[in-house]
Amino acid sequence: MSSLAAEPIITLDEVSRVYDLGKVQVPALNDVTLNVANGEFLAIVGPSGSGKSTMMNILGCLDRPTSGRYVLDGQPVDELDDDGLALVRSRSIGFVFQSYNLLPRTSALENVATPLMYQGVGRKERLRRAQSALERLGLGDRLHHIPSELSGGQQQRVGIARALVTEPALILADEPTGNLDSHSGAEVLELFGDLHALGRTIVLITHDGAVAAAADRAVHLRDGQIQEAVRE
Amino acid sequence: MKVTDLVGLALSRLGTGKLRTALTMLGIIIGVASVVALVSVAEGATAGISNQLQSLGTNLVTVSPGAVRTGATRGAAGSATTLTLADATALAGLADVQAVAPELTTNKLVVVGSQNETARVVGTTPGYLPVFAYQVWVGSFLSQSAVDNNLRVAVIGATTATNLSLTQASIGSTIDVGGLPFELIGILQPKGGTTTADDQVMIPLSTAHELLVGSNSVSAIGLSATSQDAINTVSAEITSTLEQRHGITNGVDDFSIATQAQLLGTVGNVSGVLTLLLAGIASISLLVGGIGIMNIMLVSVRERTREIGIRKAIGARGRDILSQFLVEALALSLAGGLIGIGVGVIASFGIGTYAGWGFIFNPATVAVAVGFSLIVGIVFGVWPASQAARLDPVIALRYE
Ligand SMILES: Nc1ncnc2c1ncn2[C@@H]1O[C@H](COP(=O)(O)OP(=O)(O)OP(=O)(O)O)[C@@H](O)[C@H]1O
Ligand SMILES: [Mg+2]
Repeated sequence: MSSLAAEPIITLDEVSRVYDLGKVQVPALNDVTLNVANGEFLAIVGPSGSGKSTMMNILGCLDRPTSGRYVLDGQPVDELDDDGLALVRSRSIGFVFQSYNLLPRTSALENVATPLMYQGVGRKERLRRAQSALERLGLGDRLHHIPSELSGGQQQRVGIARALVTEPALILADEPTGNLDSHSGAEVLELFGDLHALGRTIVLITHDGAVAAAADRAVHLRDGQIQEAVRE
Repeated sequence: MKVTDLVGLALSRLGTGKLRTALTMLGIIIGVASVVALVSVAEGATAGISNQLQSLGTNLVTVSPGAVRTGATRGAAGSATTLTLADATALAGLADVQAVAPELTTNKLVVVGSQNETARVVGTTPGYLPVFAYQVWVGSFLSQSAVDNNLRVAVIGATTATNLSLTQASIGSTIDVGGLPFELIGILQPKGGTTTADDQVMIPLSTAHELLVGSNSVSAIGLSATSQDAINTVSAEITSTLEQRHGITNGVDDFSIATQAQLLGTVGNVSGVLTLLLAGIASISLLVGGIGIMNIMLVSVRERTREIGIRKAIGARGRDILSQFLVEALALSLAGGLIGIGVGVIASFGIGTYAGWGFIFNPATVAVAVGFSLIVGIVFGVWPASQAARLDPVIALRYE
């Protein structure tokens, strides 16, 4: 993937995140510098408490670094206000969560269509696009099921459909297989592999080395610092 | 976000917790229904009273004796016997006066065969009929010659006739008033409205003076002005005529004048206050309903913290979340308001039918009620909604 490394979609430059709890300061990320190329499939691996979720929140524009620079898709994120961050999330990022985080009591179709609603896409058009995203993930016969009527693997595929439906520049997945059995987990990883093959940029966060093996490259995080970069 | 999307979200949300939605709306329903019903009751009661006042007489002006003044002590109004038959005759000559009815009222036992009742006995003149808007049902009313000749004749009201079992066939028979025999010459048609107006015995004023009271004073003089517009002129003329006749120069009159216009005005004022009072009471329940909505919205924001986090992660801005919760509160209060109007209209109809003033429906009240419930929705929805909008997505997503 060296040909793509020339145009990074993510640039982290000495990014730190310190949680200020009043009496104590908890440093969760220390001077992390990282580039992710367009079309790359990167795994961020580390033990519990190493700062993986903190990193994902910053990469996903849910949180801001305490110091350092973050440039996403050419856009310096630290200059944006809350609405600006929301716009970046809406246009450029698709999240896949460990606990799926689907809207309860809401059909798979409506769940997948919701990110398009926040982009201002009309109802008919967004339902059409949501349906085709779900069909691509093999859920064409589950459109009107609500999350509690779906298996964990199916829910996670709805979650992936929701992340894909806006065609974002970056897909961020935090322990996407953490709640799944090994079979469903393997299926989900295979899906990420397919997406990667279609040219999507994916950052996958996991504590599991075996899961990380699905990616092109793994970055190891320990105590908020990058340990080593492993190329496969 | 489009308005249609916001409405869609709100409706599907309200549809998922129907019992909770219904209970939350109940406060607004009761508030709006009571505003609509109470205002209608106040208006209906006012209209009813105005109608009854109008049935008392046509362009009626009533002169009553003033209070007796003994040294520094002022007696009750009407306690003096300052008005006389001669006053009434003088007032009859005024330009804009159509008819005059001096009256002397006492209570006497009326006996017919084995039946009896204590009735109001009114000594008066032929003018009584037009001034107080009565009509003769059977027989005739007191004639001028009956008054001139102190005849012992009596006309009775419709209620009195019923009470004493007197009918058409009884005309010409003798009834006993205050122990004296009178010839029954007429029965009046019922006026409706106040029943006391139909329960009385009318005899010539001269006869009353001769047999029952023994003075030439009268207890009141009723006059009808030639038109509604003439009422004020007539009042002024009465005042100057009577002041002149009674030798009053210091402006402290020994009589008082009441007009229908004054009465109607007073009723209008009283009912205005009544309407305000009732609307005020009803608004309090609307306020309580609003607080109910705020309470449920705050609970809802807390329960749906994670949902808010998810929505923010997938691209919702603060104002999208704000609008979502605000529209939800508005939908609650507006739906409650509309149901409340329905309930209020049905209640007004029921009360109006029962009380006999019919159905009074004021579109302005409905507009105010809808406006009020919208305001309640915004005022009590905006705080919970802004709480939701301000949530930090990272914290909200971790919320269990
Ligand atoms: N909101 C917070 N306030 C204070 N400290 C926090 C907060 N979030 C995380 N931390 C601390 O920051 C460090 C990194 O946390 P983080 O959640 O990023 O770890 P992680 O690698 O995702 O762990 P896990 O694999 O268990 O999810 C931890 O020491 C944690 O206690
Ligand atoms: Mg984590």
